[in-house]
Order: sequence, then C-alpha cells, then structure tokens
Amino acid sequence: MKLYQLVLKDILRRKKRLLYAALGVVIGTMSVIAILTISQAGKNQVYAQLEKYGPNLTLLPAVNTLDMKLGGVNLGQLSVGDNYIAQDKLPELRRIADGEIRKALEIEDDGTPIATIAPQLFVTAPVNEATVTVVGILPDEERTIKSWWTIKEGSYLKAEQPDGAVIGATAAEWLKLNVGDRVNLNGQDFTITGILEETGSNDDYQVFANLATVQTLYNKAGLLSVIDVRALCNACPVEVIANAINQNMTGIRAVAVKQVAESEMGMVEKINRFMLALGAVTLLIGLFGVMNTMMASVNERIKDIGIMRAVGASSRQITRVFIYEAIVIGIVGGIFGYLVGTGLAYLVGPMLFEGAKISGVPLYFPVAIGLAVMVAVLASLWPVHRATRVKVADCFASL
Amino acid sequence: MLEIKSVSKIYGDGANPVNALKDVSLTINRGEFLAIMGPSGSGKSTLLNIIGGLDRISSGEVLLDGRRIDRLGENELVSLRRGKIAYIFQQYHLLRSLSALENVLLPLIFRGDNPDAKKAMKILERVGLGQRAHHKPGELSGGEQQRVAIARALINEPELLLADEPTGNMDQKTGKGIMELFGELNSEGRSITMVTHDPDIAAHAREIVYLQDGQVVSRTRRS
Repeated sequence: MKLYQLVLKDILRRKKRLLYAALGVVIGTMSVIAILTISQAGKNQVYAQLEKYGPNLTLLPAVNTLDMKLGGVNLGQLSVGDNYIAQDKLPELRRIADGEIRKALEIEDDGTPIATIAPQLFVTAPVNEATVTVVGILPDEERTIKSWWTIKEGSYLKAEQPDGAVIGATAAEWLKLNVGDRVNLNGQDFTITGILEETGSNDDYQVFANLATVQTLYNKAGLLSVIDVRALCNACPVEVIANAINQNMTGIRAVAVKQVAESEMGMVEKINRFMLALGAVTLLIGLFGVMNTMMASVNERIKDIGIMRAVGASSRQITRVFIYEAIVIGIVGGIFGYLVGTGLAYLVGPMLFEGAKISGVPLYFPVAIGLAVMVAVLASLWPVHRATRVKVADCFASL
Repeated sequence: MLEIKSVSKIYGDGANPVNALKDVSLTINRGEFLAIMGPSGSGKSTLLNIIGGLDRISSGEVLLDGRRIDRLGENELVSLRRGKIAYIFQQYHLLRSLSALENVLLPLIFRGDNPDAKKAMKILERVGLGQRAHHKPGELSGGEQQRVAIARALINEPELLLADEPTGNMDQKTGKGIMELFGELNSEGRSITMVTHDPDIAAHAREIVYLQDGQVVSRTRRS
C-alpha cells in the first residue's frame, strides 16, 4: 500500500464530501468549457464563410437611400440611382481588377484575363403558386466563383443550353422538381438539368439559368443585379481592387466579402473574450467553493491528521495526502465539467451564434482536466498549510 | 534511557499562567514498565506529552539516550516517531477507512519502507487479532481496536511505548486483557510508560509515579 492508495481509500469512504468539493470545480470548468466550445463553433462558422467567399468581391448597384424630410416631418425614403448595373461596364471592371492584381503580383500585362467575373441577374417567377427567384448566370464563371457547389443529381448547366436550368436543393424539394422536369418561368419552359447539393446559403432556394435567356425573357437586356469577382489568389489585394472600383466606376459599389467576414470575426472574438472573462470569474468562485470544502475537510480530519503525524507522517506527507485528494477532486470535477460544459454548449450555443454547429471538442477534455486540477490544487494550498500546522497534541484531548 | 531534568511547563500568558509541571525530574530506565498516576489536572498527561516530544517545555531538559529532545526540530521529531517512540491512545485513534492490517502498516508507509504485510500480520497475531486483520475499526470492539493500535505502535519496533489511559474506554475485563498484553510486551523487553488514574490498571505496572499539582510526590516500585 502506498500513500496515494491510502488517500483513495479515504476518499471512497467520504464520497459525498468529495463530490461536494468537486461541484465547485465542475461549475467553473463547465462554464469555461461551454464558452470555449461555443466560441469555437462561432469561429468555425465565420471561418467557413471566409473560406467560401475567399478573396471575393461583390459588386452591387450603387443605390442611395435618402431620408426625405420636410420641416421635421418624415416623408419616407427615396431611392436614388439604378437598381441594375449595366453589363457594358464589365470590360472596364476587368481592366481595373486585372490591373490591380498585376500590380500586386508584379506581372506583365499580356492581355490574358485573370480575375473571374460572374455577373448575375435576379428576377422572380411564379411557379406552382409560389414565387421563386430566378438567377441568370454565366454557368462557367459562376461555377468558378462558387467552388463549393456540388451537383446532387443530374448535370450542371452548360452555356449552350438556353432553356436549361439548375435548381437549389430546397427549391427542388418545395417545388417537387426532379432532373428532366420542365418548369415554366415567365412563359418559357426550362428543363431542369441538375439539382445542387445543399449549401446553407440563399442558393438553396434559387433557380439558375443562362444569363442571356433570363435577360431576354424579362426584357432586361444588358442589365445585371450583382457581379461577383474572384481574384486569382489568396494574396490578392481584394480591398485595393474594391477601392479602385469604388473610385473609378460610377453606379457600382464594391464590397470585399473578406472584410465583412473579418469584422464579423472581430465581433466573435470580442464576444469570446467577454465570455471567457465571465468563465474566469466562475472559475474563481469555484475556487473559493473548493477552498471552503477543503477547509472543512481539513477541520473534519484534524484527528486523522494527528493520527498520521503521531505514527510518523512528516508535514510534507500530510501535504501530499491533501494534494492527492485535491488532484482526485480536480480529475472528477474536470471530467464532469467537460461533459456538462459540452452539453451546455449544445443547449446555449445556437442561441448565441445562430446556425452555428456545436460539436464537442475532444482537445478540451485534457484542458478541462488540467484546469480543474489546477483550481482544486490552488484552492487546497491554504487549507493544506493549515493541515500541516496541526500538532499531534492538539488533536487528542485525552493526551 | 530517558531522563527528565527539572522540567517546568507553564501554560497560558503572563496574566494567567498555569503551572502544569513544576521542576519535575524523572528517569525511565530501559525495560521499565512505568505507570504515571495522579488526579486529573495533576499534570500527568502533560508529562507524557513532554516525554513523547509532543509538547514544548518551559524550562529544564529532556534527554533520550543522552540526547536532548526538548528542542528538536520538526524533522527530528518525525524521525523520533518513526523509530524510538510510539504512542497508544485512549481513543485508539485508528483511521476509519483502513482495515486493521492497513492501520498497522501505516507507520511503515510514512517511513517510506516496503509495507511488509507479513510482518504486520505477525504482529496482529501477536496481539491476538490474526482473525480480524481485514476488518475495519468500525467492525471491531474497543478492546480489539486497542490491540490494533498496539500492533501499529509495535511495527516500527520502538524502544519506548507511551500510552495515555489505554484502558480508559474499556470495561474492566477488556482492560485487564490489554494490561496483560502490556505485561507480556514488557517482559519481552519493551519499555512502557503509561498514564492512568485507575489504581487497578496501574497495579499492572512495575513502578508507579504519583503526580500532584505538577509535582512528583512519590515513586514506588512493586515487588
């Protein structure tokens, strides 16, 4: 039998006390693990967005809304500008985008296009008593930009299929459309060539057809709703391109998607830091809880300490007895803290980051144990110090 | 073996001093079985504490084998308890979570020795508890618990056994059994010093020291 076995036997006898002490550790560890798990999910979500949009730019028509006021009376809003981008601006757009990329990468202008430019036209069409958004696209360019698209069924839209259409997963389900079905959009029949895999974005609800067909069908020849631009590389200066476009082209507002994602990430970080601070506070409260129970444990066992001292225990060995006990409390508290914390993350996470997929992080298991043991041992230092001050003679009134 | 030279012990502060021991001198020889008697408050427990190095003295000297032990540091006191001196208490003071055998092994564990279960078992048999080795203290009678405590005191083979009212919690018959065990241990050559207020118990010792008001009033040797 070794000293630690002695401690284990003693702990088994006093399970309730141990669990009570562990509770303080559990609460502290639980909140930290829950926070870490939730914030990891939040980060993952933003990262996924970043990855999806990569170094992309989105160009929107520059529409300004002006507040109309007359002597303090609000008369509503007035939109100034067009709701569409003229298609004839594409060459200028390419010149600016490619020019900036060349400048950044220091390559010669040999006339080959670099950036992928994918114009889109949004219209709506009634289908089976519902209204669906129809997006006119250049199939190849769109596919390059939306590299995350995969075809669930059928095949992808080809540029030379004027009456072909690809449909988002959710839209296909709602409209009960299968590959090969024909669907009437604003008076023209389209054949569904393929159904997209679910993406979690608006694409799931939309129908995609060739840009030229949609433009003709809706009398919007030469008009675009949105232009997505994908720069060549990850190092490409999307912000610089966006600035150049905003300065040189009228009627277009360029937004670097990365910027949006980054500011979102900044928000996530801020929330995380705040929550972690809260977690640290609960950890501290847990620490005092454990300190209290350990103190009670020491007081309760003054006699046992005296016995151990009387039969030859050094004060270092007494310290070890209580530190071992604290480590056991920490391990038990850490295990429960991890489990409960992860469970809590599943419950609370979706409220904090909408749509975030919470998943337990196994890496946090050792973190939880380490944290819990640290707290338990820290909380035990003062009680243990008291324990070592116990004198044999103090414990035995009879002696 | 053990010498107490003009030891005084004053408890409390200057305003309300209590003179627990007043200039006590006492010699305990090797192989002696000594009983310290006296009414409560006579200072007999204080004296035993001081002999065992559990309490500090106010003045005087305590020598064990010619070495002063009244000013030992923590580490030296620990090694004293791991070797030459062992205690037996009125309340037995066994660890409740451990079996009889494990309680006996405890001193070896703290000494860092190999916890020799065979040796412990042999000693338990010696005190007549071989059959009860795996019982916990809660499952043992008072007399049996005290036998476990005695076995625990013996495992380090101490030179001096110190017992404070070892039969104080027992009926007469059980107490007599313990005293007979003490007698046997003493005849095997172990020195025993015990505190008691019970003359029947003290009668088992070979020598009796009477204490009153912190002073030795007599020392008698039984034939």
